[in-house]
Amino acid sequence: MRKCYFLWNKRRKGLWPAALCLAAACLFLTACSGPAEEEEKKSIRIGVSLYRGDDTFINNIRSELEANAKKYEQEKGIKVTLDIQDAKGSQNTQNSQVERFISLGCDVLCINPVDRMDASVIIDKAMTAEVPVVFFNRQPVEEDMNRWDKLYYIGVDAKETAVLQGQMVVDFYKKQPSEIDLNGDGVVNYVLLEGESSHQDSLIRTEWSIKTLKNGGVPIEKITGGIANWERSQASALMEQWLGEYPDTIELVVSNNDDMALGAIDALERAGVSGVNVVGTDGTIPGIEAVESGKLLGTVSANKEIYGSAMLEIAASCALGEALPEEYPLMDGTYYWPPQEILMRPEKD
Amino acid sequence: MIGRKSKVFIFLYLIFLVVLFLMCSTDLIIREPEKEIYKVAVIIEDVRDDNYGNFRKGMDQAAIELNADVRFITLYEEKPNAEGQMELIDREGQDGVDGLIVAPVDERRMTEALQENRVTLPAVILGTEPVKETETGSITIDYREMGRGLAEKIKERAPEGSTVLLVEGACKISGAESGFLTGAAEVLEENGYRCNFERPESEETYREMLEGLPEQGCVLVAGSPETLTEIAGFLEEDAEGCDRIAGVYGRGNTPSILNDLDSGLITGLCVTDEFSRGYFSVLMAVKELEKAGDTKSMVMDSYYIEKKDLREPKYEKMLFPVE
Repeated sequence: MRKCYFLWNKRRKGLWPAALCLAAACLFLTACSGPAEEEEKKSIRIGVSLYRGDDTFINNIRSELEANAKKYEQEKGIKVTLDIQDAKGSQNTQNSQVERFISLGCDVLCINPVDRMDASVIIDKAMTAEVPVVFFNRQPVEEDMNRWDKLYYIGVDAKETAVLQGQMVVDFYKKQPSEIDLNGDGVVNYVLLEGESSHQDSLIRTEWSIKTLKNGGVPIEKITGGIANWERSQASALMEQWLGEYPDTIELVVSNNDDMALGAIDALERAGVSGVNVVGTDGTIPGIEAVESGKLLGTVSANKEIYGSAMLEIAASCALGEALPEEYPLMDGTYYWPPQEILMRPEKD
Repeated sequence: MIGRKSKVFIFLYLIFLVVLFLMCSTDLIIREPEKEIYKVAVIIEDVRDDNYGNFRKGMDQAAIELNADVRFITLYEEKPNAEGQMELIDREGQDGVDGLIVAPVDERRMTEALQENRVTLPAVILGTEPVKETETGSITIDYREMGRGLAEKIKERAPEGSTVLLVEGACKISGAESGFLTGAAEVLEENGYRCNFERPESEETYREMLEGLPEQGCVLVAGSPETLTEIAGFLEEDAEGCDRIAGVYGRGNTPSILNDLDSGLITGLCVTDEFSRGYFSVLMAVKELEKAGDTKSMVMDSYYIEKKDLREPKYEKMLFPVE
C-alpha cells in the first residue's frame, strides 16, 4: 500500500509539468484563435510604391489607379485607402517603404520595382507578413515570381508593343514612302532612343521594332543610337548632339517611349528641323497630345483604364481574400497583359 | 566526470542565457514604452492632388518622424461640394481615425459644423482664417494680403492706367480665389489701373477673351493655379496673344506652373512653402491628439517670385524640396 502511494505520488509529480504545458497550450490557442465568424471586410488598404514619381507613364497609371479606387468604393461600398510613395529611383528607399506599408497594416502591395533583378527583398518581407504583392510595369525575374503563389505582375507585353510600333511605320511607309524617305535615296536613315539598359522592355522593344521594320520591307539603315533612360531631357540632349553630327541625314527617330520621343521633338524644334518622323510608345497624355497636334507620327498606347482597373481589382481581390476577377485572365496564374492600340497622327489633306 | 562546481557553473550559465533571451526578445523584463500611432485623415477640397505635391512631401516626412498613420483623401465629385466632404469626414470618423486635417470646400460651413460640434474629432483646418470659438487648430494663408502684395509688384512693371484682367475659374469660386483677386484689385484700382473681372467658362470663351484683349500692354491675373495653367496653355499656342500682354501673374507652385514661369509664359508668381504647411499640419494634429500643443493657429508667409528667383537657394529649397 505504501509502495502504491509512493508510485501515485511520483506519477502526480510527473503530471504537474504536463498539466502546466497543457494549460499553456490552451491559453496559447485561445489567444491565437479569432472570433468565431470572421467579419466581412469593409475597408482595404493598398501600399503603392513607384520607382520614380516623375515618370510620365507611371504618373498616368497612378492617376488611373486612384480613379479606379474611387469607383470601386462607390460601386462596392468598400473603402479603399491608397498609400502612394515615390521610391525616387532607390531600391533601399523602396525596401523601407515596403516595411512601413507592412507595419501600417496594408492588406496588399502594388510595387513598381526600382530594380527588377532585386525584388527578392520585397518578396521576402511580403511572404513573412503574408501580404500579397502585385508588381507592375517592371517585371521581376521569373525565379522570384515563382517563389510564392501570391505574387502577380501587370505590364504591357513589350514584344507586342514593339511589333505594333514597327508595323505603324511599315504601314505609313507603304502608303507614303516619300514622307519617310525624305531625300528619296531608297534608304530610311534612323536613330534609336533606348530606355534603361536594365529594363526588360527596353531591350525587347528595340529588337522587335527594328525586326518588324526590316521584315515589313522598310529599307532602314541605322545612323546611331543611345540610351536616354526613358527621360525627355536626356533624349533631347542626345538628339541635339546627333543633329550636329549628322546634319540633314536623320529621317526617322525610333524611341522606346513617348517621353524620349518628345525630347527628340524638342531638339528638332530648337534646331529648326522639320519633316523628321518620330515614333514613340506608351500613349502618355503628352504623347497623345503630340500625336493629335501632328508632332509625333504615332505611339502605341496601352489601355491605361484597363491597366489601372486590373491593378485595383486584382489587388482588392487579394486583400479581401476573394477569387481573382475573371475579366482579367492571368497567364500562368501570375501575369496580366493589358491590351494596346496604335495611335497615329491625322492624315494630311 | 563533471565536478559539482562545473555543474553549478553550467546551470548558472544556462540561467544567464535564458534571462538574456527574455531581455532581448520579450517584454517580460524590460518593457519598451509603447508608442501610440495616431491615425490622421487629410481631406482636401479637390478631386485631384495636383496642387498638393509639396504639401504631401511635408506631410509624409512628418508622418515618418512622428510615427503617424496619415491617409490622404480627395473628393469624389468633379465639382467639389461641401456635402460630399462632410460625408467623407463622417466616414473617416466611423472608420476610427483619431484626427483630421481638412482643406474645406466651404469654410463657413465647416466653421459652423465645428462650432456646433457636428465634427467632434480633433481637427486642423487649412483655410483662409482661423476657426473662431473652438479649440480647432488652423494653418491659414492670407490670400487677400497675397493679392495686395502681387499688385504692388505689378505696379512696378505695368504703366499706370493699364487694363488688368482678373480671371476667375469656371467652377464655383473658392475663398482663396476671391480673396486673392479682391486684394489685387483693391490696390490696383487705388493706383489708377482699370480692373475687369472675367470668368471664361469654356475653351471658346477663353480664346475669345484672349483674342479680344482691349489693348497692347494688358495684364492678366489668374485667381487660381488651375486658371493660371489654362491661360499659360493658351498663350503657348498663340504667340500673337503673348505680344499683346504685358504680363501674366497668379499663384501656385505645381511643376507645370513653375515650368511656365521658367519658360517666360508666366511673369510673376505668389507662392507659399507648401512642404512646411504639410509638415506643420501633421505636427499640429499630432500635438492636438497628445494634448501637448500650444500653437492653435499659424499663418503661412507668401512670397513673390519671378523667373530669376527659381534658382535662388532659398526658393529652390522651398519649391523643389528633397525629403
